Amino acid sequence: MMELELRRLRNDRTEVYTRAVQPVLWLAVFGLVFSEIHAIPTNGIPYIDYITPGVMLQSVLFVAVLYGLTLVWERDTGILKKLLVAPASRYAIVIGRSMSSGVRAIIQVLIVIPVALLLGVSFIPNPAYFVVALAILFVISGGFAALSIIVASLLKTRERFMGIGQALILPLFFASNALYPIALMPHALQVVAVFNPLTYAVDAVRGLMITGNLALLPLDVAVIALFDILMFAAASLSFRKIIE
Amino acid sequence: MTFAIDAKGLEKVYKGNVAALAGVDLEVKAGDIFALLGPNGAGKTTLMRILTTQFKPTSGEAHIFGLDVVREGGEVRKVIGYVPQETSVWSDINGYENLLIYAKIYGLPSRSRKEVIYDMLESMGLRAAAEQLVKTYSGGMIRKLEIACAMLIRPKILFLDEPTLGLDPAARIAVWKKLASLKMEFGTTVFFSTHYMEEANAYSDEVAIINMGKMVTSGTAEELKHSLRGELIKVSVSDHHVDEHTLGLIRGLKQVNSVVVTDATLIVTVEDAETALPGVMDVLRSAEIPVVRIATTKPTLDDVFLRYAGTTRAPGAASTTERVEEEAGGDHRE
Repeated sequence: MMELELRRLRNDRTEVYTRAVQPVLWLAVFGLVFSEIHAIPTNGIPYIDYITPGVMLQSVLFVAVLYGLTLVWERDTGILKKLLVAPASRYAIVIGRSMSSGVRAIIQVLIVIPVALLLGVSFIPNPAYFVVALAILFVISGGFAALSIIVASLLKTRERFMGIGQALILPLFFASNALYPIALMPHALQVVAVFNPLTYAVDAVRGLMITGNLALLPLDVAVIALFDILMFAAASLSFRKIIE
Repeated sequence: MTFAIDAKGLEKVYKGNVAALAGVDLEVKAGDIFALLGPNGAGKTTLMRILTTQFKPTSGEAHIFGLDVVREGGEVRKVIGYVPQETSVWSDINGYENLLIYAKIYGLPSRSRKEVIYDMLESMGLRAAAEQLVKTYSGGMIRKLEIACAMLIRPKILFLDEPTLGLDPAARIAVWKKLASLKMEFGTTVFFSTHYMEEANAYSDEVAIINMGKMVTSGTAEELKHSLRGELIKVSVSDHHVDEHTLGLIRGLKQVNSVVVTDATLIVTVEDAETALPGVMDVLRSAEIPVVRIATTKPTLDDVFLRYAGTTRAPGAASTTERVEEEAGGDHRE
């Protein structure tokens, strides 16, 4: 399934570039402006460095949450029916599909990185950290894609899906530590952020790529793994419904 | 003997109490090409999706080569291939890649994968187009690619939901040639639904007609056409009055169902025109009535379809069906 995504992207790269526009704008406009005004306390690191992991996660989140759209399209064609009739377990299909959104997500991240470097973001020059960070991005993408599959299974049509898709992305993104520390938020939003898996992914990637603070890394990984397992299980159960 | 498909009392009620299937019984012999006919909304697709384990019947049971579609779905999926009505290949990769992805999903061993894929492309006549994006394929090529995908695991039975919908006549013939060769080469049972009567007539071993969620009739295409008992012999006689006595003799013949005279033409309804004709001719000859022209009309599968599943018919439409409907009465094979 991941190979499928790579082969599709090889034949049409435009999508990769159009999707890269938004994160690049976040970094180049939002990041640079807020770096100048020093409005947000970031423990001494430049603001643009601070939000780079957040913007990467946002890219991942977009790709993953909208991955359900692919499934809705495949539902309209006969592909999903054929997959469900294939002699492969449904868990394998769901996990394969979820993870293949990770392939797309990682490609987006790899585009954001050189842009960030150009804008003067300083990464920790440790290849091992870098690889672990990418792995975390890949895995969390799978979880969000599975969430997207659940939504697609329940809603079934493109129009309904678009409405919910956007409504999922924005709160997940803003109610997390992607753009500002949780401590700055109002209490209610802090509660949401604590239950938001994106928070943990941002923390892990920020630690690995920018700050080098890995104190919470085991917790982050555990939360992300738990989130993925729950989402995969729920998506496998709901997947059948999509064709009915 | 184990049937390829053996279904009993299948019912499916959708949400809102829409009954798509109302007790379907079906037996399909292994190695047959089986055509499922029926008007839109008759339950063809629902039946096919139950048989391919996509969803469960509300009640009743079905077995594919002895495997229960509800309890042994995983096993069933190992022996079936399925081509849905809608396009089921990715158009943004090429033909070979489509087969490769499906081969991986199906878990074909990597050693033989490439060989199996090229074999399949070869036997579907797509070898030359293997490296082209599917976007550039014609409708017929896409269908053939889909059949190739479904055949990768060499299923014992192939389900096709309206395989030639929207194809031009040449492409339809090409697709059918390939399907027939699969039967020859691998002994694959083929179960397909269609609206094209001539396809069912030409390519199937057996035909079943479904209407309003029920099987209304089944048999070979020949049997079904015979079951109408409505072949016609038209005899034109040269300005000669056929007297009542002669008509009586013809009516008295064993095979004859009815005789009508219009102008100088006798219209004799019989069960089988070829075997009834000599008897009719004998009577006319012994009455010394000169015969100018003889024509026989056999019902087509269209007539069978309309007879069993036709709900609307244009008034005054001149076809054999009209007369057949009146004269064959309610006496038909179940």
